[in-house]
Order: sequence, then structure tokens, then C-alpha cells
Amino acid sequence: MKKKLLSLLLAATMIGSMVVSTSVFAEDEAAAEETATEEAPAEEAGEKNIPELTTEPLKIVLWDIATEDPTKSIQEDAVARFMADYPNITVEQVHQQNDNYKQQLIVAMSSKQAPDMYIHWGGGPMAEYYKSGFVNDLTEMYNTYDHPDFIEGAVAQASYDGKILAIPFGGLSGCDIFYNKTIFAEVGIEVPQTIDELEAACDKLIEAGYVPFSLANGSKWTGSMYYMYLVARHSGNDEFNAAYTQEGSFTSDAFIWAGEKIQDWVKKGYFPEGVNSLSTDDGQDRALLYDGTCAMMLHGSWQGRSIMTDSQEWYDQNLGVFRFPEDAEAAANGVPQDVEVGTAIGNGFSFNCWNEDGSVDQAKLDACYVLATQYYNDETYNAAQMAASTTPSINGYADQIENEIDKTVADIFFNASNVQLWYDQYLPASVTEVHKDCMTELFGLEKTPQEIGEEQDAAMQAYLAENAG
Amino acid sequence: MTNKSSLAKRREKNTMIAAVVFLFPAVFLIIVYMLYPVIDTFVISGYSWNGISADRTFIGLKNWITLIRDPSFWAAFGHNVVVMIFSILIQIPIGMLLATFLDAGGKKFNIFKILWFLPYLMSSVAIGFLFTYALATNGGIFSSLATLISGHKVSVDLLGKNPQALFAVIGVMAWQFTPFYMVYFIAGYGNIDTSVYEAAVIDGATRGQYLRHIAIPLLGPIFKTACTMSLIGSLKYFDLIWSMTGGGPAGGTELMATYMYKLSFQQFNMGYGSCVAAGMFILITLIALVFQKIFVVKEDY
Amino acid sequence: MEQKEVDYRKEKMKSRIAWVVAFILALMWSVVALLPFFFMVMNSFRKQFDMLSQGVFHLPDPWNFQNYVEIVSKGFFGYFLRSVIVVAVCLVLMLIIASFAAYPLSRMQFKGRGLIYAGIVAMMSIPMHVTLIPIFKMTTDMGLYDTLQALIGPYVTFALPMAVFILTAFMMTIPREIEESAEIDGCNKFRIFFSMILPLSKSGLSTLAIYNGVSMWNEFAFANTLIQSAANKTLPLALGQFKGEHSLDIPIILSVLVLSVLPMIILFIIFQDKLVKGMMAGSVKG
Repeated sequence: MKKKLLSLLLAATMIGSMVVSTSVFAEDEAAAEETATEEAPAEEAGEKNIPELTTEPLKIVLWDIATEDPTKSIQEDAVARFMADYPNITVEQVHQQNDNYKQQLIVAMSSKQAPDMYIHWGGGPMAEYYKSGFVNDLTEMYNTYDHPDFIEGAVAQASYDGKILAIPFGGLSGCDIFYNKTIFAEVGIEVPQTIDELEAACDKLIEAGYVPFSLANGSKWTGSMYYMYLVARHSGNDEFNAAYTQEGSFTSDAFIWAGEKIQDWVKKGYFPEGVNSLSTDDGQDRALLYDGTCAMMLHGSWQGRSIMTDSQEWYDQNLGVFRFPEDAEAAANGVPQDVEVGTAIGNGFSFNCWNEDGSVDQAKLDACYVLATQYYNDETYNAAQMAASTTPSINGYADQIENEIDKTVADIFFNASNVQLWYDQYLPASVTEVHKDCMTELFGLEKTPQEIGEEQDAAMQAYLAENAG
Repeated sequence: MTNKSSLAKRREKNTMIAAVVFLFPAVFLIIVYMLYPVIDTFVISGYSWNGISADRTFIGLKNWITLIRDPSFWAAFGHNVVVMIFSILIQIPIGMLLATFLDAGGKKFNIFKILWFLPYLMSSVAIGFLFTYALATNGGIFSSLATLISGHKVSVDLLGKNPQALFAVIGVMAWQFTPFYMVYFIAGYGNIDTSVYEAAVIDGATRGQYLRHIAIPLLGPIFKTACTMSLIGSLKYFDLIWSMTGGGPAGGTELMATYMYKLSFQQFNMGYGSCVAAGMFILITLIALVFQKIFVVKEDY
Repeated sequence: MEQKEVDYRKEKMKSRIAWVVAFILALMWSVVALLPFFFMVMNSFRKQFDMLSQGVFHLPDPWNFQNYVEIVSKGFFGYFLRSVIVVAVCLVLMLIIASFAAYPLSRMQFKGRGLIYAGIVAMMSIPMHVTLIPIFKMTTDMGLYDTLQALIGPYVTFALPMAVFILTAFMMTIPREIEESAEIDGCNKFRIFFSMILPLSKSGLSTLAIYNGVSMWNEFAFANTLIQSAANKTLPLALGQFKGEHSLDIPIILSVLVLSVLPMIILFIIFQDKLVKGMMAGSVKG
């Protein structure tokens, strides 16, 4: 259901997390230093610097999308621990369905019935909720009180316009190449370090009768991962950032290079036939891995867990993971080769606590803050998250990972010089639609890289023009 | 004379009272749950609004001007028209054929009736999932059949390319909805007085003649309502497209309803989304009206 | 005489061939109708990994009954019961209200008839998503949010325009003489409606019951918007219990769908037989 998730993330106005001003980084570091790291368990609340909560009865309505175990029980446990410590506070935890979650939230907000505390994925929607008055600014509280030692990227993604607007709790997602170790051994190929080696490996795989990459591009954001990585390897974050403001262009070098590479790969048979008709929601890409048609799959790191859930045996026997290979030529020109595509927060909670007269309902806000920082994100919570193969976006956890694949994924993520947030989460929603359609046309060989670049430029310009005034 | 006219008046008054009483519950509910939201939609279409913010800016007809010039909207409308034409051309004739077969066969064909009705009972979630696989290039039914027939590996890409993606979805829709029209026509046949059939048999008509010359013409009004339903249903269709293609590839299966939904609930553009919805409402009503006017059938027999 | 005999034989021969052809086509159509259904059932007895690795169109190997155990243990019957209640109440209300409205529209002459009819039929063109926000607001204002009653209004109303439209068409086919003779006997409109019109509209009503019963049974958007606590959720929302953020256990979803559709099939088998009888009775009276 990742398609839905990402489409939730596409957002209208998204200036925010891009301008994720350096000041936020600085602020966060400062804050982190001030409060030092605090991995102390929540039980020692006495020593903690957290707001004093009300003793009056209080009810918090909380929306999440934890419909399924293990997430469901992990999150319900966090709420139960909180309610045990603060018996006067009731948390009404509502598990919404991910598919329609964004619609639900719009319906509720538009009717002034929004929950007090709700999950989102940061990015444009968060900015929109904030601008419409459904998000409390947490900057001051965050700097005053204890909070988990979130990694920089996570705080950046929970911020907009220099303000901290959400508390992350979902863990990070990278994007890496999963591969079938058995096939690699059989064909006799090593994990490729450069794109040239990757291509050589692919050619060998084709010779041996395999399709190199399993890709279900019916979902479009899946094909975008290849495009994003090739652009990032060829130009770091620079060309994309320039294209975003239209000081540069989606037809600049890296974009054309990435587009041509993809089309070349399509022609050489690196992707399954009918790549645009396959749907990742229905598991068609995993199916191609399982039945031994394909040898590799570039995908979000959550796929590791999905594969494990499908079959522990297959996972143990066959699955390996590696970082997207480097562009040797660009590396020689000094382009950083360790940009990671992905997201530093799986999810964040924003708070919506206001009095009738429009002032902040501090008592409720305090309670939400304590719940999100001390019960979600506490040791018990994070240990359970780790057991479920999710790495919290908190410093120090990457070292504790035992599972080899999770460890590789986390290492790649934490060693990245920069995180390139998914385009479809980062671009304004209207541009995202165009970008995604361009991915269909690119992989379908219906349009040239130049043409899709121009289309994306036009959409971006239209957006900028509309939001200039 | 005066007596008579007052009697007629009283009668008219009685009829009026009865009509009001009978119509009241339906009209009341429709005003509350449908008319009010429609008016609301038209009002919102005059604003620039993200759907959640307390303040919205009135921009007059700006959204409507955008709508008239919006190629995406008209492309979506075009897809809707294609869906409409093929839905009517496929679902209704097949539905009628199946109903005729069942009606002619009588009770001994009940098993067919049950089997044929099954597709309609399946939820769109399951249909979307199974047909995504059935239409897939790898291991899908059509690709496998083509491979089998031609003797070498052929992959038929039905959902990933335009324009066939739209037709693939139209096919799935037909599979899902034909059973409903079948049941509808069975009911239509059932409504025909048995005496009509008996009279026909006495006159020496065969079953086929009875069907051709008597039953099918008698189904006129039923036929017209079926077409109207199919027409309106396909112009506002949403479900299966949403779960199978999401409007893709490259907008090739985008319909007015999916376009409206994306704008309103995913892109924070409720103002324009409402305008699209209002435009949709006007277009569908117009087309349905024109259809009603053109397609005149004898309504009594 | 002889000529006629030959004609008759020819006719019979022709009709026999026609029947054979029709029968073969009927069998083919049955396969087309049944196959996806069959695979829905088969896949519900598999594990996700087996389904993905062996292919979707493959028989279960090995058979897995765990999916059904799991959904039943996760409160399937609660969802089921609530769905039954909602659909039963809404369907009965809807059919009564719709036939009430169709009667004057099809068989009475009064001012504004055309306008009301056109207005109701026009409501068929409403895209339902635009009504979500207004209806949500109304429901919370009425204090019905998160109750099963909240679904009654939208379910009944959204079925009405089409139901009125169809019933009007069906009622128009009832011969006018029946009503006239009753009127002469001094029956008022209400007696006529209940004793004649309603029984004679049985076939239309049963089609509508089938059509709307299925759509209410599968209805998702309103239920998802108007109900939030697990204790009030209906069957289509139960699917959400088995969908995660990134993961989707398709066989489990399919097994929920199989269990949901089963009662519908049983009802249809019983109902379609009744439907025929009902029509016969109606015709005899007519």
C-alpha cells in the first residue's frame, strides 16, 4: 500500500522541508547538546525535565494508522504505559486505514473535528496543516524539555519554516538494492561498486537468463527511485535543488543522463516486460523475485521486512542488500557519492491542541508532548521497533542492530552525507503528478529524457508562478 | 356543471395531498443528504481553498475558467465518454442475451443464473487484485494464452500502455456489471403479463417469435432505464479505476471522478476539486437529459 | 398439411441447433464468470509467499487454513453482524420510501410532477465524494458520529434516486385499468398502493434489493468516514484490520472477502427462487 502512502505525501506546497533551514539544524544540535542524550527509561520520570501534567481529567484523541501487528501492539503498549502513569488522562487511540487516511484528515479538519494528535509523514501536507492552523509549534517546548536524541535529518523533516512541528516516531526508511545472493553466486557476480560494474553484472545476468531488476512501475514512484538515484549519483543534490527553484532545470545534465541511462537499460532488457503494468501494491515485484525471474530490486528498506514476513526461509537463504553503486566519472569530478534517497522519519505526530478562543491548550499539549517523546520513543518502544526490523530515527540505535540486512541499510543511511527525500514527497503535489506520469513515459520509452524534463519544468514553473503572489 | 368541476377540483386536491404525503420522505432525505452537499459544492467552486483552512478566498468564476481550459479535465471527460459508450454497448446487450437465455430456459437454468451472477457479488478490492494479475505481462492469462497459441513467448501489455489500458479496465467493468443488467432484464421479463405469452402461444407463435416480436419490444422502458443507469454510472465511475490503475499509465485511464478526488483530497485544492465535481454534475445531467429526449420509447402498452 | 409438418420439423431442427449453440456459449460464459471467483477462493487458502512465488493462478499447495482461523479470531462475526443489521434496516427503509415516491410519480397527475421527477433523477449524477464533508459535519452535529445509525441516512438516500427511477419505470408498466376499477370501488390512494401497486412491483423491488443490498454490503467510503471505533465497524472496514502501512497480506484479505460474499450467495440462491414465484403470483393476480 506504499502507493497510497506516497500519494498521501505528495503535497501542495512544499517549500518547507527543502528550505529546511540550516538554522533548524543548528538549533537542533544545540538543543541536543543542552539536554544531552537521554536514553534513560521513562520510569525514572522524577529526574526528567518534562512538563508537569495536569491532574484534572483530560481526554486526548489520537489518530494513527497502526491497523496491523506488530506496529499496532507496539503503539497500543506505549499508550497503555502512558495511561498507567497518568490515570486521569484518557487517550482515545483511533487506528485509521492508511489508504484513505489523508482524506479522513481533510474531512475532519474541514469540519473542525480534527484529532488532538495525529500521524503524518512530514513534507508538504505537514506544512499545509500548519498553515491552516492544525499544528502547534513545538520549537520552544522542544528546546526546553527532554526529548529523544533524534538524528538531524529527522528533526529537519519534522520542521517547516524554521519551526519544529512534529515528533518523529516511525523510524527511518532508506532505499537500496535488494538482491538474490543465490543467483549472484550461481552467475558468479560480486556486489557492484560502480554503475559500470552494475551494468556488467546485469549483462551477465541477462546472459544467464535472468531479468536483472524487478520493477513494478505501475506504481510510478517505484521507477522514480532509479531516476532519483541516478540523478543523485551524477550530481549530488545540486541539480535537483536547482531544478526545484527553476534556477536550474529538469533538463540539466544529470537528469538527461539519468533518463538516457534508464531508457538504455529498458532497451537492454534490465527490467521485466510490461514494466508499467505491474503493481507493487499487489506484490508483483516481489513475486518476480520469489519465482526467480529477477535478481535485484531497488526499493524502500521496508521491503526487507515485507519479504521477511512473506517467508523467513527465503529471506535467510537468498536475500542480500547493497548500496546504489557509484558513478565513477562523477566521483572523479568531486560529486559526493553517498547521497541517500529516502526519508529520515517514517512518521511524525503533530499536535492540534487549542482552546475555544484560539489560544494554545497548554495542558493538553503538554500531555501530548510527554506521550510522544517519553512513551513513544522510550526504550521499550524502540526495542520493540528494532525487533520489528525498524530502525528508530534516534542516535545510537544503529549500533544495536543484529540483523545483517537491517544493519547494512542503517549503516548506509547513517553514513550518507545527505538524504534526498523522495521526489514525490518533496515536490508540490501538482508537480508530483506530472513527475509520476513522466516516469511511466520514461520507462515506456514514450518520451525522451529531454521531453520529460521540459514537462517537469513546465509544471514546476506553473507552481512557482501560482505561489509567487 | 359547477358540481362536476368542484368534484374534479376535490379530486385534484386529494391527488395532490396523496402525492405530497407519498413523496415527502424521499424528497426530504434527498434535500438533506444530496441537494445541500451539491449546493455546497457549487459554492466552494467559487473559492480558492485548500479544504481545511478556516479562511478561503472568493475568486468568482476563476476556477470555472480554468476548468473550461483544463486539458486534463477534458481528457478525463473523453475517457468517461469512451467508458460510457462501451459500457452501454457491451453490458446491456450481453446482459439482455443472458436474461433471454435464462427466461427461455426457465427454472432448469437456475444454476447458470447463480454462476453468472457471481461477478457482481465480488468486491472491487478482490476484482482489482485478481485482474491486475490476470492482465499482467508475466504469467497473466492473456499473455499465457498468446504464448500458447503462437508457440513462442509473447507478452501482452494490457495495463501498462495506452490506449489499451482504458479498454482493459472497460472489459473488467463489463465483467463486473453485466450480471446486474442480466438480473434487471430477468425482472423485466418477469413483469410481462403471462397472459401475453399465452395469447402468443395460442396464436401459434414459437418461443423465438414471441421474444422477437412481443417480449423485447415490451421491454422498451426497462431497456431505456438500463441504458440511463449505465450511462450515469460510467460517467461518474471511480472504484475499480482507483484500485487498478489509479488513473495511469500517464493519465490514460484518468476519469473525472479520480481527477476530482486527487485534487480535493490529495493536492489540497478543494476549491478547484469542487469545481471539477460541479462541472461533472452539470455534464452528466446534461448528457442524461439529452439521452432521455432522443431515446423516446413507447411507455405504455 | 404436409408442408406445415415440414416447416414444423425445420423449425424444431433450427431451434435445436440454436439451443446447442446457446448452451455452449452459456458454458463458456460460465467459465469467464466463475474463474476469477474460483481463484479468489483458492488464493484465500494460501500463504502470501506461496501465492507470489508459485503464481496467483495456481492451486493451493500446501493448503493453508490459518487465514480463516485468524480472521474469525479477530472478531469477524462482530463486523458481520453489524453489517447485517445496517443493510437490513437500510434496505427495508429504502424500498419503502422509494416505492412511496415512485407511486405518485408514475401514476398520478399533479403539478410539479415532472420537475420533482427530473430533480430526483438528476441526483443520480452526484459524485459521492463531494458529499463526504457536508455529511460528516451533519452527522457530528446530530451527535450520530461513530454510531451505526449514522450510516442509515446516507445509505438510504444515495440509493433513492436510482430506486425511484427504476420503480417509476416498473410501475408505469402496470395496467391502468386495475387502479381505475379499484378507484370506482372507493379505495383511496393508500389502499390502492398497498394492496395493488406494491405487490405488482415485486420484480422491480427485488432487483433493487439485489442491487442495493450488494452495494450497501460492500460500501466503504461513508462507513470509513462516519465510524471510527472498532466496536462499530462494518464488514468492509474489517479489511483494514489486515492491511499495514507497507504490507498487505493478500490471502488474508481474500479470505475476508470470501467470508463476506458467502452469505450474499446463499441469499441470492434462496432469493432468486422466491423472485420467480413472486412474479408468477403477481402475474396471476394481474
